Amino acid sequence: MQKNPTIYKDQQELPTIQRVISVLWPSFLVASISTFLFFAVFDPIDLGRLAGYPELTRIGGYTIGFFFFWVMTAFSCGLTCYFRKPVHPPTIK
Amino acid sequence: MSATAGKTPTPDQQVEAELYKKRQKIYPREVHGIFAKMRNLAMVALLGIFYGLPWLNWDGHQAILFDLPARKFHIFGLTLWPQDFIYLSLLLIIAALSLFLFTALAGRLWCGYACPQTVWTEIFLWIERKVEGSRQQQMKLDKQPMSARKFRIKATKHLIWLLFSLWTGFTFVGWFTPIHELWHELITFSLGPWETFWILFYGFATYGNAGWMREQVCIYMCPYARFQSAMFDHDTLLVAYDEKRGEPRGPRKKSADPRELGLGDCIDCTMCVQVCPTGIDIRDGLQYQCIGCAACIDICDEVMDKMGYPKGLVRYTTERALKGEHTHVVRPRIIVYSAILLFLFSALVYAVATRVPLELDILRDRNTLYNETDEGLIENVYTLKVVNMTDKPQTFKLSISGLKDAELIAQSDEIKAPSGEVVSVPIRIRIDPENLPSSGNDIELHLESLTQPGLETTETGRFLGPMPEL
Ligand code: SF4
Ligand code: SF4
Repeated sequence: MQKNPTIYKDQQELPTIQRVISVLWPSFLVASISTFLFFAVFDPIDLGRLAGYPELTRIGGYTIGFFFFWVMTAFSCGLTCYFRKPVHPPTIK
Repeated sequence: MSATAGKTPTPDQQVEAELYKKRQKIYPREVHGIFAKMRNLAMVALLGIFYGLPWLNWDGHQAILFDLPARKFHIFGLTLWPQDFIYLSLLLIIAALSLFLFTALAGRLWCGYACPQTVWTEIFLWIERKVEGSRQQQMKLDKQPMSARKFRIKATKHLIWLLFSLWTGFTFVGWFTPIHELWHELITFSLGPWETFWILFYGFATYGNAGWMREQVCIYMCPYARFQSAMFDHDTLLVAYDEKRGEPRGPRKKSADPRELGLGDCIDCTMCVQVCPTGIDIRDGLQYQCIGCAACIDICDEVMDKMGYPKGLVRYTTERALKGEHTHVVRPRIIVYSAILLFLFSALVYAVATRVPLELDILRDRNTLYNETDEGLIENVYTLKVVNMTDKPQTFKLSISGLKDAELIAQSDEIKAPSGEVVSVPIRIRIDPENLPSSGNDIELHLESLTQPGLETTETGRFLGPMPEL
């Protein structure tokens, strides 16, 4: 019923900025949820002590955790993007 | 390289491709009207809540504070701990489901009136209008080459935007760390590095999203905008142009009778396009870019008024109503969503109402299983962790049961626990070995508040002793 955006046969047609968004943005969302779930269970102060950084504050722990998740999820999104490239360039008829 | 290469793109693809290539800046024209008033009202209310609520105090603490550094959430009188994670999850699920229900019923009302992206864009547009002037003045200014005047105007706008964004970042952090302390740290230049980072990060996100990205966030980044079509049906409220009434469109004199000219009611003034914050033409039919802000309704009603035609050429309606059918408000989808919501909501209310804001953990002394005293009694040593999750200091009385003639030895008869604190209490329990049925027995510890009657909890611990002689 709703008009869809044009469906691109190939992601490569998307401009760079859109591809950057499609890597950074979903990973940001997933990283936020992961951070929330992870730190609901674990206290960053305990983790810091275990890892040998007793001076780590909670806010510091949350921040590091969030960016860690973000880098990892972005990496995964980036790989997905990369592997979507066709192995053989399609022949143009 | 693509499968479509070589073919001529459809007009639709051309338009899309252009959009993707270089975004045309959209200059939404200012609107007045009933929906604009409602939108402004919602904006003031929501921004008021966002910027004001963290400053409100309740019972000596910040009324609403998701205190991340202390791992405690204060919601007025209620204090939630990480142990209460389930309530928060339940609340989030309820919020998501409400959005589903709401979307099925009323379409993108959320987008048009309540979404932070819309609300902040709206206030940024307002600032832009105050500094740069009307739509025409803004367009003219952007076409001019850089001059001292243009620079001054642009710099003023960005400065106000940036200050406002920083204030937004500060307030955002103030929802998660005590805002009064944060303010004190700010004015004494003693903000912690992480707090500073998050203020800048959120401030920058606000500036970028509301100042620069705007409708592109809705179109390319918003997950809700993408999947809301799954919640739409033919009975969902939406903003639509009445094609039957409007077409064929065309300009005419006010005095002319459109029927004589063979025209519909749309005078093709393109006002509805000029006011649209996402830059679409509502007359092209339903489009996923439409955030349902109703700006085009307001402006078209104004045009209709001027022409002396009835209002509502563009209006809130449903697909069914547009086809001349009857709209069903109650339908299976709505009933299912409502039922699930009602169930979850009752569960939440019940859980919060019966929640005991008190926790007792019994930790056995790890070094010895048991001691024998000089009088021949068996003694076990424990450390109790008492968590007072209420917002008042409490005095507790501890008692034991489950084993005959067990004797409780503690430093004092009463345990005092300040609000929101965990206190450790070492205790000993002694018992005559004759009263021990086996080498491992259950013993019940009962904690009861003397300050707040009814606040009590019971935990079972293990009491170890020698193998009973047979
Ligand atoms: S504002 Fe109304 S009359 Fe003007 S172009 Fe749009 S639909 Fe037609
Ligand atoms: S088409 Fe109308 S309701 Fe939709 S976003 Fe544009 S102005 Fe708002």
